Amino acid sequence: MTFSTLSDFRTASRRALFPLLCLLGLIAASALRAADSPRPIINQAILEEDTEKKIALINSLIGNTSPEIAALFVLWKEDAISLFKAEDSETKVPVTLGEEKDAEEKQAAFLLLDNSPLKGKDGQPLRILASEFDTAEHDSIIRGAMKGVLDLLALADPNRDKRVQAINMIGMSQEVEKLPALLLVQKTETDSKAKRALSEAVALIQLKDESPEVKIAAAKTLGEMGSIPSRDFLTALKRESEDQPDVLKAVSIAEAQIASHIRTVDAVGTGFRGISKGSILLVAAIGLAITFGLMGVINMAHGELIAVGAYTTYVVQGLFATGIVMQIPTFFGQPITVRLSGANLSGTALDNYFLVALPLSFIVAALVGLILERSVIRFLYRRPLESLLATWGVSLVLQQLFRLTFGANNVQVYSPSWLSGNWTVNDVIFGWNRVFVIGFAVFIIWGTHLLMTKTSLGLLIRAVMQNRQMAACMGVKTERVNMMTFAFGSGLGGLAGAFISQIGNVGPGLGQDYIVDAFMTVVVGGVGNLIGTVVSALGIGILDQSLQQILLNPVLGKIIVLGLIILFLQWRPAGIFVTKSRSLES
Amino acid sequence: MKRNVSKIELTVATIIAIILVVVLPMLHASGMISDFTIKLWGKYLCYGLLAISVDLLWGYTGLLSLGQALFFSLGGYMLGMNLMLMIGEDGQYFKSGNNPNLLPDFMIFLGHTTLPTFWKPFLSFPIAVAMVVLLPGLIALVFGFLAFRSRIKGVYFSILTQALTYGAALMFFRNDMIMGGNNGFTDFKRIIGYDIRESATQRGLYTATAITLVLVYAFCRWLTTTKFGLVQRALRDSETRVLFSGYAAANYKLFVFVVSAIIGSIGGALYVPQAGIINPSEMTPEKSLEAVVWCAVGGRGTLVGPIIGAIGTNALKSWATRAFPDYWLIILGVLFILIVLFMPKGILGLFGQAKELFKGKPAADPVLKPTAEAAPAPEVSK
Repeated sequence: MTFSTLSDFRTASRRALFPLLCLLGLIAASALRAADSPRPIINQAILEEDTEKKIALINSLIGNTSPEIAALFVLWKEDAISLFKAEDSETKVPVTLGEEKDAEEKQAAFLLLDNSPLKGKDGQPLRILASEFDTAEHDSIIRGAMKGVLDLLALADPNRDKRVQAINMIGMSQEVEKLPALLLVQKTETDSKAKRALSEAVALIQLKDESPEVKIAAAKTLGEMGSIPSRDFLTALKRESEDQPDVLKAVSIAEAQIASHIRTVDAVGTGFRGISKGSILLVAAIGLAITFGLMGVINMAHGELIAVGAYTTYVVQGLFATGIVMQIPTFFGQPITVRLSGANLSGTALDNYFLVALPLSFIVAALVGLILERSVIRFLYRRPLESLLATWGVSLVLQQLFRLTFGANNVQVYSPSWLSGNWTVNDVIFGWNRVFVIGFAVFIIWGTHLLMTKTSLGLLIRAVMQNRQMAACMGVKTERVNMMTFAFGSGLGGLAGAFISQIGNVGPGLGQDYIVDAFMTVVVGGVGNLIGTVVSALGIGILDQSLQQILLNPVLGKIIVLGLIILFLQWRPAGIFVTKSRSLES
Repeated sequence: MKRNVSKIELTVATIIAIILVVVLPMLHASGMISDFTIKLWGKYLCYGLLAISVDLLWGYTGLLSLGQALFFSLGGYMLGMNLMLMIGEDGQYFKSGNNPNLLPDFMIFLGHTTLPTFWKPFLSFPIAVAMVVLLPGLIALVFGFLAFRSRIKGVYFSILTQALTYGAALMFFRNDMIMGGNNGFTDFKRIIGYDIRESATQRGLYTATAITLVLVYAFCRWLTTTKFGLVQRALRDSETRVLFSGYAAANYKLFVFVVSAIIGSIGGALYVPQAGIINPSEMTPEKSLEAVVWCAVGGRGTLVGPIIGAIGTNALKSWATRAFPDYWLIILGVLFILIVLFMPKGILGLFGQAKELFKGKPAADPVLKPTAEAAPAPEVSK
């Protein structure tokens, strides 16, 4: 190795010195230096003329967890530390400056050493003009040293996630000089996630080691871990070590292991997304399975009932937060602007809006459904195809009402914090909102099942749906039962809307996005059969997500799913679960 | 229903046909009707063709297809391909020297340099016209064969055709389809060599549409009065009985489905040069539903009704969108609801309802008196 310039030499010598210093620093850290103020050391470092010694002083801060270090380093880097020199003195005093400037542009100054105000000989605080003095110097080497200290500081951060982030950053940049520090931390680290990150980072750095054995061992570790971020580094290593067959072999094995890990992760992820997509379909379709499947009403406005639920969620959120503005259409006159002031909540209290929105969206959608049943649908029980047309008219009206009331654009619905995080288990990401949707779907199905089988209302519903006339003859108030059933199905649509507002856009056209899928789900499952709807929703969801994963094209996947559904219905025209009947016409 | 066309209907139909085919173009030629109006009427009559195709299926055979918009826009796309290729040297990219092979502009935009093979035959106008009939006919044949073979009927047929249309629309929205994607085809310059913006060309297109409509009407009128038409209506009223009488119900339905697909497609092909644009939003299930509504408004199972419904609804829509831009969807929606609830036979059925009223009979109560084609609600019995 030749040193072309002095600066290269310095860098190289710093590299050689650094690990040792790190060790010293970390050992010192264990001697409880955390409480020591870093100010004297930084003060000294600034005044020190010799770069080597300067760096040594900076590095000696390793292990000191004082938050002042980062702040002072930033000041130093940003030229905010001035070197004050009294008129009659040769000694320079590093000072930081106060924020306020007076009429003469002068600022208050504080000694870097102990943060006390700079005083003149008379003991009065001095105000100085910053431009009259030099600033503390720094060059790239010193800035590098400061960054190194800060990086290593983060390794000892009490917050697990910050620690992991710092470890990953060191690993990804493959900084050989920080390896000893990582190894040292590895001995004391107890958290499993941080431990994993550490061994990954150590292995990544070791890929750069001189000795082939170490490289092979590192590649092996990475392969066994199935470390996805290491792929690029392994590829790079492969290119470098074409003359070392052993290393090449180890890298190839590691790459194969990682590839298989990725396949597993993708498969599990796809399965999970499929189930959650299926749950969304299920939630959207379950109301339809009741109104269409059991009652035989083709409710094209079901999508808009979903939108009613979503908008209810939006309004409730507005009432919890800063209020909401609605334009109530008055038909052929100026719309009335309604301003509802909100409770201005924030944090957890605001998050709880969703718990209020869930039941409300059910109730509001059920009420809309009730009005719809009383005014339109009850006249059309014998004419299913015409119920399709009339409810389509209803859907047009509702869509336009949404547009007029809430505007043509999508409205913002914020997810509560407990719905917006995720779990990452072994590289597979489980979004909380998706997990919640699955749980919610299970809950709705279970509730609907209980209602249909264990309550007297459920009994009446089933009786009326099987034979309306006969039920009426037995004294069942079929009108009432129809009303209740339709309202219940509509309410389930509203619940679906509350959910969909957490996942997708809420706009006037929301219903249209779900109506075709929801009908397909019910038809594939077998009309009049709730279990069929569950199976078909999950099936379609998983199929859809798998095709997306394979084709990398959501639209093409959707088209193929539609095609497959059409073909499937050739094979089983009445859906997965056929309700057996002796009637010719059913 | 009488098998023979009554003299009154024949006279009225002839008078309307003469007005549409002869009088309107003459008025236009003499300058009494503006280009805008003749274009508007041309579009209305295309919608009339679409409505007839729905009526043939729904009004006469009891099949509520939500796929008619698909066939309509497919026909439009087939002719549109020819029109796109005929833009030729008038295209923007050719003028800027980036399009030596005379591709439609959107292809250059997408980075194509040569014409895709499936586009080449459309350089010929007769082939494009043949495709207007063949492609939708073929799709209807395959889809209908599959659907009717497995005896998919009623609501299921509607939902399946809806899915078919939805899937096709998604497909045409994609750029890889090389069919113009989101924007579809537009900016046509000439048709069989004539400048498409000339008022004489527009008149020619209008006249062609009017003649086609009259011919299609006559054909359907004839078809529905033949023995075939009787079986068709019998299928609507009770498919099981027709089956038990030894008719191959599936074949009858398949024939009607294909014929109505072709009628819809011809309507679309005539629509595109007059509207000047075709894009996938014409292909959505909602557009099919709209056509069904025209049919319901005019009175289904009458052939004349759907044409009246198509023209009337669209005229109302043109007026309402200008007069009440915020409320026209609500007006339309409420109108559909009212018609379905209180006028199950549409505008044409009003005469009958009024007559019954005058004779002192109770008006047809939609609740108590199901119409002939009412299917019972699915029975759930174990």
